[in-house]
Amino acid sequence: MSFLLDSLHLFVRWMKKLVRNPILIFFSLFQPVIFLVLFTQLFNKFGALLGPGVSYTVFATAGIVLQNAFSSAFQSGTAVVDDIRSGFLTKMLATPVNRTAILFGRILSDAFRVVVQTVIILVLAYALGVFPETGFLGYLLVIFTVAAFGLAWSGISLALGLKTKSAETVFGIAGFLTFPLLFMSTALVSTSVMPDWMKTVSNYNPISFAVNAMRNMITGCPPGQLSSNCTTGFDWSTILQAYGVIALIGVLTLGATLYLFRKVVS
Amino acid sequence: MPGIVDVSQLVKTYGDGTKAVKGISFNVSEGEFFGFLGPNGAGKSTTIKILTTILRKTSGSASVAGFDVEKDAAKIRKIIGVQNQETVVDEDLTGRENMILQGELQQMHGQALRDRVDELLKIVDLVDAADKRAGFYSGGMKKRLDLATTLVHNPKILFLDEPTTGLDPQSRAAIWAYLKQLNEQGITIFITTQYLEEVDRLCRRLAIVDLGEIVAQGTPADLKQEIGADSISLGLENTTMNGGTREKAKQVLENKFDRVSNIVNSDIGLTVYAKNGSFLVPEIVRAFDDAGIKLSSITVSSPTLDDVFLKHTGKRIRVEEVTSANYRGMFSRRRR
Repeated sequence: MSFLLDSLHLFVRWMKKLVRNPILIFFSLFQPVIFLVLFTQLFNKFGALLGPGVSYTVFATAGIVLQNAFSSAFQSGTAVVDDIRSGFLTKMLATPVNRTAILFGRILSDAFRVVVQTVIILVLAYALGVFPETGFLGYLLVIFTVAAFGLAWSGISLALGLKTKSAETVFGIAGFLTFPLLFMSTALVSTSVMPDWMKTVSNYNPISFAVNAMRNMITGCPPGQLSSNCTTGFDWSTILQAYGVIALIGVLTLGATLYLFRKVVS
Repeated sequence: MPGIVDVSQLVKTYGDGTKAVKGISFNVSEGEFFGFLGPNGAGKSTTIKILTTILRKTSGSASVAGFDVEKDAAKIRKIIGVQNQETVVDEDLTGRENMILQGELQQMHGQALRDRVDELLKIVDLVDAADKRAGFYSGGMKKRLDLATTLVHNPKILFLDEPTTGLDPQSRAAIWAYLKQLNEQGITIFITTQYLEEVDRLCRRLAIVDLGEIVAQGTPADLKQEIGADSISLGLENTTMNGGTREKAKQVLENKFDRVSNIVNSDIGLTVYAKNGSFLVPEIVRAFDDAGIKLSSITVSSPTLDDVFLKHTGKRIRVEEVTSANYRGMFSRRRR
């Protein structure tokens, strides 16, 4: 009981902090929105390269949604570092607050934030003519999937933050990881245009799994097929694979986070 | 009768081998205003962290209100209020929200919580700023808010680590006045501070720690009595950095006065410790006159906690810090 209530109180704290620092939302939304609005126009012709009648905007939406979760998740670790540095964590630890709730409140706020930002991106994408072929359920499933991905992914930055207690390190590693992971995945291009070695990397890249599932929800095509008038609908094996990978990342990163957090608080 | 804080043979050795606390024992009675003093790095903050269940001890025992700091940590957390050395408030939240959050973490809620927060806002004089973000507060206001957040759940005992350091004199006085009031209401106060005059005025008992060990404890009056000597502060004219006049004066005092128990340098000249200091004054004046040493002032005072602290730790608690800071300031100005 106190776990849920404490989590809720701390969730509300993070929400207030976020709303009062809109610059944070701006930073993590800026890149995806630029990608969605400018990048897709720039690479408009790229769609034809991927297959006849493929709209690059439709193709890239899943990747951009994921990219947003990716960059937001990396702010999680720095926020926790701030609490350690300022002494706020110590202050909380002198109260009966449930220890795990301190972490859970933050993770919950990350997931909520990713959902809100995803909705913003999907609305923009809709204005550009992107609508899931799988219908409204597809929307919900995209949002759910990206939230789950964001949760699991924020574990990386949380674990890094708790281990190094340095916001700079978390930022540095985030910046270091972003481009290789994103570009060597199916987020913005299809494997059909990659050199063989990169294809292999992409096939094992967790980002690709999550993106493939979300792209299937949006295009209704089975993976690999890119034309925009598919009728397959949900491709459950792709979706379940994605959930498997997300769950695996979640268990590893959040497990490490919990372990490191216990070490910090005891 | 066991105290509200009971510490016995407490040891803390950090992972890197640093022995921060080396087997200290003391106790605090319920309702006491207890001063825990010592130079930087003496082990004060470590001890407070162990007592407030934030840090694990290495060995020995420690209990608060009869609860073991490790086995019954959860029970202790409900009855203590803790203010850390750094001012800790969430600057994105308003003053009121900061207090509400702390109350919620103490499992308070609803009207009772809101009323308590209103009451405290009045007491720490933050009513007008209550709904402004704490980031816009001045240093003194943040400190007051920080203190107020530790009081929301009506703690039985308050642990305060340097609650007034870095504040202007008015804010400092306000906080001390408020602490006095809290203590009169029956809250036990455990405090570390550098402000010895306030300790002398308010603390019923105190302990002095140095290098992880307790070097003295007792009431301020007893500790001062132990010094057994008055201090005579001598202001010397032409006191130079290299201490020419000082050395000469020292020699005169050492040769002619066997009742002098100790001589130390001070900002204005020398401080001399001696029994019944006032009787020495005419003799000192005469001796200095004969030796051609010019006195600019002479003050006799009964021993202060400053003297107690100096005797037990070999350091001055605050005055020295200030002097060395001035020194640095002077030098950097000259260079420019």
